[in-house]
Amino acid sequence: MASQQPLTNPIPLLIPCSHLTTEGNKTGSWRFLRPHYEEKTSPCSVACPAGEDISRIEMLTAEGFFKEAWETILMENPFPGVGGRVCYHPCEQSCNRGEFDEPVAIHTLERFLADTAIRYDLKPALEKLPARNKRIAVVGSGPSGLAAAFFLARLGYEVDVFEAQSEPGGVLRWAIPLYRLPLSILNQEIAQIRELGVRIHCGKPIPQQFLREQQSDYDAIFLGCGHSRGIPLKIFGEDLGGTEDGLQFLQRIRRGEIFSLQGTAAIIGGGNTAIDTARSAARLGAKVILIYRRRRQDMPAFHDEIEMALEEGVEIWELQTPVKISSQNGDLIVTLQQMRVTSEDQQGRARIKPVPGKKKEILVQHLFTAIGASTEEQWYDPPKKGTDILRLSNCTLVYQSGRPVLVYGGDLVADTKSVVHAVASGKQAALALDTLFGEGLDAISSKLQTCLVGKGPSISMEIFLGGVRSQRKHRMVRYEDLNSDYFQFAPVISQPRLLREERIQSFAEINLKVGASLAIREAERCFNCGLCNQCDNCQLFCPEVAVIRDNNPRGRHINYDYCKGCGVCVVECPRNAMTLEEELLCGKS
Amino acid sequence: MRQVIEGSHAVSEAVRLARVQVISAYPITPQTHIVERLSEYCANGTMNARFLRVESEHSAMAALIGAATNGVRTFTASSSQGLALMHELLHWASGARLPIVMAEVNRAMAPGWNIWTEQTDSLAQRDTGWVQLYCEHGQEVLDTTIQAFRLAEWLNLPVMVILDAFFLSHTYEPVDVPDQDSVDRFLPPYQPRFQLDLENPCAFNQLAPPNVYMEMRHNIQMAMDTALGFFEQMEEEFENIFGRRHGALEAIQCQDAEVIMITTGTVTSTSRQVLTELRQKGEKVGLLKIKLFRPFPANMIRELTASAAKIAVIDRNFSFGASGIFAQEIKAALCNLETRPLVYGYVAGLGGRDITPEVIEDIYWRTKNSTAPKGDSLWVGLHEVSHEL
Repeated sequence: MASQQPLTNPIPLLIPCSHLTTEGNKTGSWRFLRPHYEEKTSPCSVACPAGEDISRIEMLTAEGFFKEAWETILMENPFPGVGGRVCYHPCEQSCNRGEFDEPVAIHTLERFLADTAIRYDLKPALEKLPARNKRIAVVGSGPSGLAAAFFLARLGYEVDVFEAQSEPGGVLRWAIPLYRLPLSILNQEIAQIRELGVRIHCGKPIPQQFLREQQSDYDAIFLGCGHSRGIPLKIFGEDLGGTEDGLQFLQRIRRGEIFSLQGTAAIIGGGNTAIDTARSAARLGAKVILIYRRRRQDMPAFHDEIEMALEEGVEIWELQTPVKISSQNGDLIVTLQQMRVTSEDQQGRARIKPVPGKKKEILVQHLFTAIGASTEEQWYDPPKKGTDILRLSNCTLVYQSGRPVLVYGGDLVADTKSVVHAVASGKQAALALDTLFGEGLDAISSKLQTCLVGKGPSISMEIFLGGVRSQRKHRMVRYEDLNSDYFQFAPVISQPRLLREERIQSFAEINLKVGASLAIREAERCFNCGLCNQCDNCQLFCPEVAVIRDNNPRGRHINYDYCKGCGVCVVECPRNAMTLEEELLCGKS
Repeated sequence: MRQVIEGSHAVSEAVRLARVQVISAYPITPQTHIVERLSEYCANGTMNARFLRVESEHSAMAALIGAATNGVRTFTASSSQGLALMHELLHWASGARLPIVMAEVNRAMAPGWNIWTEQTDSLAQRDTGWVQLYCEHGQEVLDTTIQAFRLAEWLNLPVMVILDAFFLSHTYEPVDVPDQDSVDRFLPPYQPRFQLDLENPCAFNQLAPPNVYMEMRHNIQMAMDTALGFFEQMEEEFENIFGRRHGALEAIQCQDAEVIMITTGTVTSTSRQVLTELRQKGEKVGLLKIKLFRPFPANMIRELTASAAKIAVIDRNFSFGASGIFAQEIKAALCNLETRPLVYGYVAGLGGRDITPEVIEDIYWRTKNSTAPKGDSLWVGLHEVSHEL
């Protein structure tokens, strides 16, 4: 039909095509921005008073390296099993994932790792520096004293811990109820501290004179005596009998001195001791009323604990304060004054005043006070004034020439009285003493400054020891720094718990174990802010094939002969483990 | 085997039978059914192909350019705004001489927002160096898609298979879906003439300065010049295996026609009926269906219309400020002939409006009864509207 055109075969095919490699074209010369691998600091690790390397812990957990993850906790905190149970986990409040869906359940994972270590009888491979030929005494075996001993022993010091009670642990053993912290866990972690060579001498109360001995066996003394004396109500009738300090009550339970509690128990206070007392009393059979002078939302106790107390049948009476106690046929009549909120302070906590004429009476069989605690002896507290005193964020050093250096730590110096703050205190004391002995008193502040996690105040043992973490930038990763396109919504793990009915019948641990597969799934939710988890996005996206895989743990490097500085790698890095900086023009024409 | 399938799935079946290796596409009505079916084939293992999900049509074409440079058989589908978004890379695909095949479902451009058929989207890509084939019915869609791979790989040029939105893409018709062995005989595995090779590293498509660029462009035209001849040979082979051919053009009763109507796409089917009725009334009317638009078969058109006095071109498209696009091309093809038919341009059916047998008949009578065209195009069937905002 149509005119047949001659078919040339092959068809003309002239295209731009080089006949040699283009490697000679070093596109790196075009670059005016330079990407580089730069690990940064995660907000959770900054928020952790113990400065745990949480983003790395979760990365290792997600990959199934449970022992290594557990050791990474132990690097900064001797108590993963305890912390995984009782810590109020401020890390989770600052978790960047909270801006995406829900924070990672860091405390659940911490506990999982500790439980796994116990289950498999793992022994941590903790570095211990050569002996320093110096001896340190630690007074009190609560969390701060044990933490100080733990870090000092690792730094090569000989450590003796003196404990007045029959067994070590302080608040961990005597004040925290078993349903929150089983003894086996505490014993295991204390045994681990002993493994480092720490000697713990129980039943050895220390006299004040010990601190001032000229011919001391010790180069330094750490005082972590804690707050064990309850503050009295200072109201009429408190001394009639039948009123007991909540801490004493908890201790008597742990000693096995109380098996049941009949009738109604009133607890005065709104802190964790008040809640522990209330929930313990409920377990012993009492009807429990918790009386607090402010509102429920003002209570200093941890939110979860309050919720569980309510579930367990504890009644909370808000805006009531006891003004008088009288006794009647062996029972107590407590007169309560109604309070009202006048305003709120900057933290939103209620300011209160009594409502004139609004009083009522309540008949109870037991009354427990838990409105705070102070030191048993005045000399436990650091001196208010004097020379050669160095007040750090979590401990106070008193340098006395010719006598042992004194370090006051734990609740004695803490604004926030928590187990993890006590650990932070013991760690800071240990690092401060090590600096003092090595470089002198004046070097302490600047040396500790270099060990801050982010901008602090938490400090890191690993950074102090010059570990891999010390190469990390102090800059904290914000949610906006992440590339959230790479993350998928996933619900947070829900903590399995005993049923309410099971709970109130015994002191069995409430929070149940989670299995490895659930733990891995939860750990995978972690964004690993600021850390490279070898996802290889940089390599996949580099248009110049300038990201080179290496056969070493860091994984890869950039070939700057060809990197044009387009920045795609930095943008596609999900976790902000890369940084783009202006290329220094010096040395380039 | 004859199956009742919609036009979109005629494309999908052809792509499956062509053993395409990489598909990348972004959904857009009325194209979506095509790649939906293909994504299922990729997911369930019916096809041994990678389906690359992308965030835009621009990226879909970019992905295929990468894949085709690696020497594999590639396919995408698009429509209207999506095709427009690909524009830059359409030039790239042809300049890089990559045999990518695309199904393009004709849909009107927005605004006003419109999902119905019109050819302006594909005709706006006229100059990108792609071969364009306009199809009339489901069977032609399937056959042309299979042929498109042969054509593309022969020419080392990309090919667009074009079908009307809904009238063809969403209409179910009986279609013979051939067996795999027959298709394999017609379409052997792709043998690329160049591809990325780690053993022999080189760069493709880098700088082409003035001293070489023009030759490269001329090369594309040289390839285009062979297309029509190859198309006919290929159709012969196709006919030997499958027993049918559709032609780059199809002339129906043109030999003695005084008026020849020129159509593309599904309007052709309607026109076939009108033609039959007019012929029964003794009218000397012919019909010329144009399937191959790029390269434009100007010689064939000149030959096939030589004896007619008048041509009526029905354009379901428009170039603003000028006229219907097929009418322009036909006028250009005829203009140097000493004696040539008068060319009447009609614009009809924009934005999916029906072109009914009455409309076509009206176009015929207007053409027959006119002594000379008034203007370059006549808009058929315009409604009375207020021209104010």
